[in-house]
Amino acid sequence: MSDQDGKPRPVPKANKYVATDSFWQGTKDGALLLQYCPDTEQFQHYPRPVSIYTGKRNLEWRKVAGTGTIYAATIVRVPGPGMDGRLPLAVVTVELDEGVRIMGNIMNVEPDAVAIGQRVALAWDAINDDIAYPAFNLVEA
Amino acid sequence: MSEETIVIAGYSETLVEYKSGRSAYDFAGEAFAGLLASTGVEKSMVDGLSVTVPLSECANPFFAVYMTEALGLSPTWLNYGGMGGCSATGGVARAMTAIREGMCEVAVVLSADAPSTNWAANYGAFRGEFQDPVGVLGPPATFGLLMSRYEHQYGLNYEALAKISIAQREGALVNDNAFVKLKKPLTVEDYMNSRMIADPLRLLDCVMFCDGGNAFLVTSAAKAKALGMEKTVRPTAYAEITNFKGADPVADITETGFSVLAPKVFGASGLQAQDINSFHPYDDFTIAVMMQLEDFGFCPKGQGSDYVMATDLGRDGDLPLNTGGGQLSAGQPGLASGGLNLAEAVRQMFGEGGARQIAKTQNALVTGIGVIPYARNWGTSTAMILEAS
Repeated sequence: MSDQDGKPRPVPKANKYVATDSFWQGTKDGALLLQYCPDTEQFQHYPRPVSIYTGKRNLEWRKVAGTGTIYAATIVRVPGPGMDGRLPLAVVTVELDEGVRIMGNIMNVEPDAVAIGQRVALAWDAINDDIAYPAFNLVEA
Repeated sequence: MSEETIVIAGYSETLVEYKSGRSAYDFAGEAFAGLLASTGVEKSMVDGLSVTVPLSECANPFFAVYMTEALGLSPTWLNYGGMGGCSATGGVARAMTAIREGMCEVAVVLSADAPSTNWAANYGAFRGEFQDPVGVLGPPATFGLLMSRYEHQYGLNYEALAKISIAQREGALVNDNAFVKLKKPLTVEDYMNSRMIADPLRLLDCVMFCDGGNAFLVTSAAKAKALGMEKTVRPTAYAEITNFKGADPVADITETGFSVLAPKVFGASGLQAQDINSFHPYDDFTIAVMMQLEDFGFCPKGQGSDYVMATDLGRDGDLPLNTGGGQLSAGQPGLASGGLNLAEAVRQMFGEGGARQIAKTQNALVTGIGVIPYARNWGTSTAMILEAS
């Protein structure tokens, strides 16, 4: 692990890019909510100002199960803002069972134990006492 | 690219430096003055300008207009290219169109950046909420993910990546413009022992952010001749694509935009991979070079490791690769990066390679890569084929 310098992790700011209240309310309720295009019945992540499938603004926020399969996996070893004390850090791209990908961290095993193809389930990464960010745990086979 | 023949009639590069303390304007001025000196073109003849958005000055949305003031130009065509490492090749292509449309006659495609001295970029957008919190702060994590997926699907021989690094380093050793601290020989052991950045991405898979600039003169073949410029190359094919498969939420990330550019540029030029005399792929990371070798058909998809191990990529070899060291070994001059690969291709075709001059210079294939998106490969891809005039 790298040195702890005592700096708090940066707190993401909601609604700076597009309206993301629903996502952040979900994190408070222990649920992962993603943008959904009802016209094409597909999710999209990260959130966009329109449906990337239709170009229309007909979008909803829907809860996903938070289960999926690791599509890509790395171990970040380079320091940066908010990284102190978290290195080495398992960063993965998860392909959720609903057919959309999301990047996240694996919380319940050492980074070396993470591999493509493993099943994962939703977990929570406490950014501070008030905010938890969606993450994943490996599901035992 | 038919109709009136347009050529690149000159190029100019500055040294690649680290923490130079200089600005993009200063590097741009040096590259611009160098271009005028090497081509003999008077400043008053320049009526078109393409400027690359630099990391070091991008807080100023009017950088390109400021640049015209800095250089004392009054262009009738101005382009401000924000495609990162695609802005140089993309700038040349746009200049060609502008010349054909009569918007200008003599265009300069200018890229300069000094991010190791001054970082002014803030990507904003979704990153603060959806990318930074998981620790994906820069390109290495995304490329670690990309490499992991490539390795999972096709297998990856790290010695092949080492060989790419070493082949290019040989060029940097005899490149006076290369960043001086990178000018030392490299071995497979050096590569293997370089520290992990984002597994399986090692330090020697990555470029080093530096400062620098480059410039190209684009005009019609007729104008170049009238101005007495004897050395020219013709861009005979160009293609670009941005946000490849952007509306496919589960696209195969080992498939890149180059897979659709390759048939376009080969179709337009009538050339095939086996006809290419030298290859100057955008090389922010070694895996990008390997994936481009596959996408342009030098070898089948997924067989990049075997191809590299079986192929001499040196300047006297089967396929001379980024003969000046590329960005990996000359240093990446910020977003002026795309001009580095392009300048080397033009230099070789002008016969000005000096100690690293290659024998076959009838053509060259140059590419650009720009912008690292969320959980994919890269944002913009450009490909340009140059042929001897």
